[in-house]
Amino acid sequence: MVHFTAEEKAAVTSLWSKMNVEEAGGEALGRLLVVYPWTQRFFDSFGNLSSPSAILGNPKVKAHGKKVLTSFGEAIKNMDNLKTAFAKLSELHCDKLHVDPENFKLLGNVLVCVLAHNFGKEFTPQVQAAYQKVVAGVANALAHKYH
Amino acid sequence: MLSARERAQIAQVWDLIAGHEAQFGAELLLRLFTVYPSTKVYFPHLSACQDATQLLSHGQRMLAAVGAAVQHMDHLRAALSPLADLHALVLRVDPANFPLLIQCFHVVLASHLQDEFTVEMQAAWDKFLTGVAVVLTEKYR
Repeated sequence: MVHFTAEEKAAVTSLWSKMNVEEAGGEALGRLLVVYPWTQRFFDSFGNLSSPSAILGNPKVKAHGKKVLTSFGEAIKNMDNLKTAFAKLSELHCDKLHVDPENFKLLGNVLVCVLAHNFGKEFTPQVQAAYQKVVAGVANALAHKYH
Repeated sequence: MLSARERAQIAQVWDLIAGHEAQFGAELLLRLFTVYPSTKVYFPHLSACQDATQLLSHGQRMLAAVGAAVQHMDHLRAALSPLADLHALVLRVDPANFPLLIQCFHVVLASHLQDEFTVEMQAAWDKFLTGVAVVLTEKYR
């Protein structure tokens, strides 16, 4: 089980409170689909994904990104208990969505890049380290119920 | 295989780095050691003392090599051959570590350059650096 220090939790929640979760979600998902285009395989029904600008402007991408990141926000409130918090979602991603867990790591890394982009200097190495730990924890939690 | 557009974007990214090799390189190493402590095993002296001068010096050297790779992006194998030898025979950095360095590289660029480092540029840069990593580890066996 992942253990977060008080400093790590503080760094994570402090930055998260300054975030526009709606926008950042769309940015993160859009960035994932552009930088790692094979991830588009899960989003055939999303319409126009034919170019980076189409992807980043796509309303379904933005809406879904918001949904994903809102769920991620719940994780921030449950950092000591990620496996329990994500148990149901893990089953969903395995049984219904059939998403390779490798994709959770890719999205986590892209989310860190979005945070770096949005927060600039404030996204220090220590803050990055805390966030990489959170995204890795979420990725593991989401993969936990795979069978 | 790089498209013409990707080549242009890679050159654009390098233009944003050029002149800041030492600063960005040092921060790259610092982030690598902070976020992925296991990577410190490959830099025993550097990671132990984390002396600013040494970080800047080594960072400069690493990014200068990246710059050389950019100049020769159409024939990486030839251009990086001596470095590939070094990594295979002397450094022997496990290939799993290169994606960690690449992630930290994106974070350095995104945090310093913000909107100047676009999503498309990140895509091209990621593809390019991944290609460099393949070449550097190709002679391992």
